[in-house]
Amino acid sequence: MFLALKEMSRAKVRFGLLTVALGMLVFLILFQQSLQNGLLTSFVGAIRNQTAPVLVYSVDGQRVIQGSIITPDLEQLVTTADGLGDVGRIGQGTFSVTNADGELTDTTVLGYEQPLLGAPAELAEGRYPRAAGEAVGASNDADAGFGLGDTITIEPSGYEITIVGLADDVQLNAGATLFVAYDDYVAAVQSANPDAGTPLPNVLAAAPADGVTPEQLVANINGLSDDLDALTRSDAADETPGVAQVQQSFRVIFLLYGLVIPCVTGLFFLIITFQKSGALTLLRAIGAPARRLVTSLLFQAVLIVIAGYAIGLALYTPLSQRRLGGIQLRFETTAVIVWAIILFVLGIGSSLIAARRVLRIDPIEATTGGANR
Amino acid sequence: MSTPALQMSDVRKIYSMGDNEVVALDHATLTVGTDEIVALVGPSGSGKTTLCSIAGGILSATEGSVVVGGEAISDYGDKELTTFRQNKVGFVFQSVNLVPFLNARENLLVVDELGRRQGKPARDRADRLLDELGLADRAKNLPSQLSGGQKQRVAIGRSLMNEPELVLFDEPTSSLDTELGQQVMELIRSEMKSRGTAAIVVTHDDRITEYCDRTVRITDGVLGDD
Ligand SMILES: Nc1ncnc2c1ncn2[C@@H]1O[C@H](COP(=O)(O)OP(=O)(O)O)[C@@H](O)[C@H]1O
Ligand SMILES: [Mg+2]
Repeated sequence: MFLALKEMSRAKVRFGLLTVALGMLVFLILFQQSLQNGLLTSFVGAIRNQTAPVLVYSVDGQRVIQGSIITPDLEQLVTTADGLGDVGRIGQGTFSVTNADGELTDTTVLGYEQPLLGAPAELAEGRYPRAAGEAVGASNDADAGFGLGDTITIEPSGYEITIVGLADDVQLNAGATLFVAYDDYVAAVQSANPDAGTPLPNVLAAAPADGVTPEQLVANINGLSDDLDALTRSDAADETPGVAQVQQSFRVIFLLYGLVIPCVTGLFFLIITFQKSGALTLLRAIGAPARRLVTSLLFQAVLIVIAGYAIGLALYTPLSQRRLGGIQLRFETTAVIVWAIILFVLGIGSSLIAARRVLRIDPIEATTGGANR
Repeated sequence: MSTPALQMSDVRKIYSMGDNEVVALDHATLTVGTDEIVALVGPSGSGKTTLCSIAGGILSATEGSVVVGGEAISDYGDKELTTFRQNKVGFVFQSVNLVPFLNARENLLVVDELGRRQGKPARDRADRLLDELGLADRAKNLPSQLSGGQKQRVAIGRSLMNEPELVLFDEPTSSLDTELGQQVMELIRSEMKSRGTAAIVVTHDDRITEYCDRTVRITDGVLGDD
């Protein structure tokens, strides 16, 4: 590796620039992975991280909780489904509230009838509601007047809700979100609009009986009526309108990165191989096996990919813990591992074009000076 | 008598380019003794470089046999020729001779890196050669920081690093002025003679031949003694 290292040490700027360029690409990729996941979590975290394995919408609702309405007939029908273990109501409303900082703002209130069917699956702090007027809030909103112990006032009625617990990643529609008991939800709706009567539930939360999978229960419920749209928890999150479009957009961006990386590394090694073809020809002529020269090139490619990845990771790690607007970023371990493999394959793979060029060098060129051209 | 450094018998080299055939060497027979320095003189295009390339295992002959230091290389494939060049011959080429990103000392040491590494003995040999060639204080300089004569001396040192049977110098002084050229030839002669190494020195300058033991002329690929 004498040749590889000597060359790199004599052309630090050139190799340094490539390494930094790769580092920036890695940083952008990983950062956007965090951004994508953070964005989706802020949209549908409340669905993904609640306890019910199955959610039943009305077909009219088009997979938006607030747009779905479960009539008493449909509710009755669902209770007859084969393989149903348990079922409970969920209601969702958006209210104008005054938060603990005294600001007027909108907030989403989700009411669940049974803790195991619609409450946040895990608490980060505090406890679940026990009495009327208690709620679990989203930890993302804790600094924005929705902290533990804060009291939120629904306007204009003055109905008060106190936050007694906080959960991570349980926002809906990227805004402040509160989980309350179903009766509290009904009370909040009636306080805001006394003429509304008793609201109908928006969706039903269901759990399969023992030995029945959520998928089987979904099929059974959907078989009952054309007006019912049952989904597993993860399908309900992924098929919320907008989620697929966001994922699609990011996929295009990642695909572009996937094309840029091999172009950058491949062209770099091809160019420097052309530039030093005189030296490579000379080395072949004085007895360097072609294999040795290729190994040296691949060694450089490996070093640069590793160093570039380290730079990208070093930039990404501190930023991945931050909050961006209302979006909580996370260190995406899976993305870090997957992209390390992708970068390695693309980086090394693309330098094989230069390696092929090295293998084709004819040492006879050293005698004519043809390699000088 | 010990084995000659080079025995070429009836060597032909034909370059074919499409329908055209160029006979670059025609029934060339040449023997170079163990520590003999042979001047190869001829006009441009007469086949001097071709002969050196075949003797050094860079090029394969179309016909005939080539034996270097007792090793018959006529039937060698690419890999065997590479190993042969690594161990048995030294080259000083007409044009590119040094690796631009290696300093003078590293241009010598790279020879040791190509095959089975010797390490310290090779480093000692490189330092001794640089010293003999008057380059001790230029060891750390990159080729771009060396003059034409200094570069040529580094190339001579490089060609001797693998303790070759035969060193092939292709117009080693053509890029130097007369005085520098003569200094380099003196150096070549003393290095070869002190080691007992054979050499072929290609030139078209008759003054250079004085530094050689014997002169062989070549015209249109045909060899003829003086
Ligand atoms: N790679 C090649 N392809 C075709 N013809 C060549 C090639 N190399 C050399 N020749 C021809 O072979 C002849 C001898 O060339 P060369 O050995 O380079 O001569 P010299 O070194 O004496 O100038 C010339 O006519 C030259 O044009
Ligand atoms: Mg020539």
